This record gives sequence, structure tokens and C-alpha cells, in this order.
Amino acid sequence: MAKKKKAHEPKPALVLGVLSVVLVVLAIIFFTGGGREKVERFIDANVPKIPAVSEEPAATKTVTLFFLDDDDDFLHRETRQVAAGPTAAEEAERALAELIEGSEKGLLSPLPPQTKVRQVFIGKDGVATVDFSRDVAEKFAYGSTMELAAVYAVVNTLAFNFKAVKKVVILIEGAEKDTLGGHVDLTRAFLPDYSLVAR
Amino acid sequence: MRDPIDRTARGAALAAALLAALAVCPISGQVPAEQKARIQTIVIDPGHGGMETGAKGKFGNLEKDITLAISLKLKALVERNMGFEVVLTRDKDVDVSIENRSAIANNRKAGLFISIHANGAVQKKVAGSETFFLSLNATDEETRRLAYLENNSSALQSRIDPSSDDDLMMILWDMAQTAYIKQSSQLAELVQEELDALLGTRNRGIKQAPFKILAGVACPAILVEAAFISNPEEEQKLAAEYFQTKVADAICRGLARYLRMPE
Repeated sequence: MAKKKKAHEPKPALVLGVLSVVLVVLAIIFFTGGGREKVERFIDANVPKIPAVSEEPAATKTVTLFFLDDDDDFLHRETRQVAAGPTAAEEAERALAELIEGSEKGLLSPLPPQTKVRQVFIGKDGVATVDFSRDVAEKFAYGSTMELAAVYAVVNTLAFNFKAVKKVVILIEGAEKDTLGGHVDLTRAFLPDYSLVAR
Repeated sequence: MRDPIDRTARGAALAAALLAALAVCPISGQVPAEQKARIQTIVIDPGHGGMETGAKGKFGNLEKDITLAISLKLKALVERNMGFEVVLTRDKDVDVSIENRSAIANNRKAGLFISIHANGAVQKKVAGSETFFLSLNATDEETRRLAYLENNSSALQSRIDPSSDDDLMMILWDMAQTAYIKQSSQLAELVQEELDALLGTRNRGIKQAPFKILAGVACPAILVEAAFISNPEEEQKLAAEYFQTKVADAICRGLARYLRMPE
């Protein structure tokens, strides 16, 4: 009995040992050699288009911005590339940041350069809500003409470039304010006004 | 922030209220003429004030000081030549909120409202005089309301019962100017013609803009931009007494012509 037991016992242990070695080797092959090959084949053969769209860093959207000229008080168009996606609201934030940043062709921004775009939200009802930092009201001493230009540069930039935007509401530091500088009523949503734009 | 649903509800409430009011007091066809005859008080609003300086000039002149100076001269002229009571929304350098300015006009039953401003632009070259009246952000709802009110422009205030303390009254006052757009445009045109004749500045014409100060006023209301404080030449004119007197004189003549105008 004892001998038999001794003769039997090493055998399953050996089998177990061999099996586990085989398992380890297979696992190594699976995770290294075979695995890599599979991933490569997956990328090459099946989905070359998905990474091209979602990862391409150069994806841009052309936006039209509205600036002031030195000689008249109309708004003048200037196009610019901004990074595209993932949402229209984020593209809108970038477009407004460019509007504040100023013209590349010597035109004038109607907004104070210190202004920050805190957030743009585009609702399903077509109302875009723009939240500016307090600088938008505090850094300029607006006259009527300047205040109209500031408001409609923002409103037109959003409505012109983003199909989902029909009306624009302007907030300052997250709250509704009467005006930027005592003139234009901010408590109502604005429709774009292209009569202020130079032909 | 008001959402559109809220606004639609307000519009519906307003329309309902006005229809109810109409049923009680039918409107005669010649209301505007009667209205003019009934004008007793003219409210003049010197733009900005106190902490709120308005636009600034290169030589340090502030819009708030110029608007007050012109307004005081205009008040004296109108009282002397036309015999109306003139109320100023401020007669010294103090902050007055936009709501309080329109409340002063409405509480004093203003027959005409004139807001005095000096303009400002980013560009030094931009110059001239212009007169504004209210533009509605022409949403469908507001256009319908405007069309309705224009065709029935009797004195809005007589239809707003001051004892109705609820939201309805606020809603009515909120867009009180909608009933007076046509008269406001006529007043703006006549005042602008006189400014053009007297000042020698570039005529920028009459314009419509969504100005907060005009929206809540329940009578014909205009906003005069006498000249540009951001233009160095015009800044010096605006600061000079002779020019301020000319501006006041021009506005006064425009008012007189408006009041004589046949309906």
C-alpha cells in the first residue's frame, strides 16, 4: 500500500507540473506573440477609419468671427480655424475665445481682452447661453455703439457658425445682468442681427 | 434666467389680460391725439451716474457728467418754453438703477421720456449724433404682441390697475414700450432732424436698439446719443457749455414739433 501510494503520488504531481509549464508557455505566447499579432491584424484590417477620425489631431472647424474696423462701425468678418469637437458648445467656446483674442488682420475686438468665456451651453430649444467672466462688463467703459458691437459680435458669431443656435443669452459670472454697460438689455434672448455687418 | 416657456406663458397671460381689459373699455380711433393733449409731464433721464460713469473720453470727461449737464439745460428749456412739468430721473451724480428710472417715468405718468447719452466706440474716428428708439428682438411672440398693441395703442397705464399687485402687473410693465413704438419712432425722427440742423455733427440717423432703459417705459421714449465722447474732437464739444446748450435746444425743438404734429 505504502509502495503503491508512493508510486502513484509522484505521477499526478509530474503531470500537474508539466501541465502548468505548458499553461505558462501558452499564456506567454498568447499575451506576447499571438496577442500582438492579433491586435495588429485588428487595426490593419478592420478599423483603419475609426482612429483616423477620432484621433486625428488636426481636425478643425472653420469659424467666422465679427470684428470692428478702424474706419467704420460695422462688424467685419474674419475666418479662423478652431479645434473641432467633441461638442458644438466646446467649439463655440473656442470661437468666442478667438473673438476676444482679437483679429489676425488688424481689426479690433469689441470685447475687453481680459474677458474669459466661462461656459457655453446650447439648449435643445436653440438657445445658446454664454457665460462670461466679470471682465466683459468691468474692463470697458461702453458707449451705446460699442456695447451694441460687443453684444452682436458675440450673438452673430454663435448664430452664424452653429446651426443649432437660434438665439443667444448672455450671462456674467453665471448670473443674469441688466446690461454690459448701461445700454443693451441682456435680460432677453438675442436674435442675430446681420444688418450691423459690413457687406 | 427666463426660459422661453415662461415667456410664452407671460405672452399668453398678457394677451388674455389685454383682451379682458378691451372688453371693458373700448378704444376710440383717435387716441394718439388725445394722448398728446393729455401730456402733462415729461421725464428726462440723464444717462449713467454715480459709480457707473458710462463712456470715458481721452481728456478725462465722463459720459455721466455730460448727460446731467445737458439734461438740466433741457429741463429748464422745456419748462420755460412749453409749460410742462419736467421730472429728472436724477439731478445729481448718483447711481439710479434702470428699473428705478423707468419706474419714475411710469409713476409720474410721463407723457414723453427722453434719455440723454454721449456715445462711445472703440475707434477714435467714429463720430456723429443719433437717436434711438426701442427694437424688439423680433421673436414671433413679441411681433404678434407688438402688432396687437400698435393697433390698440391707447394709454397702457389706464388699463393697468395699480392695485393689481401680482405678477401680471410686472409682466405688463416689463414690455410697456411695445405699445408706443410708432410714436417713439416719430419722436426720434423729429429730434434727430433738429440735432442734425443745429449741431453740425455727422448725422447717424435714427436707429432701433434693444436698450433696457426704453423697454419698460409706458410712453413714447427715445434715447439721444448727442455725439461721441470717444472721438477727441467731439469730446471737447460735449464738454463745452455752448454745445450742451445746442443739444438741449435741438431736443426741445424736436419735442415741440412732435407735439404739434397732426395725427
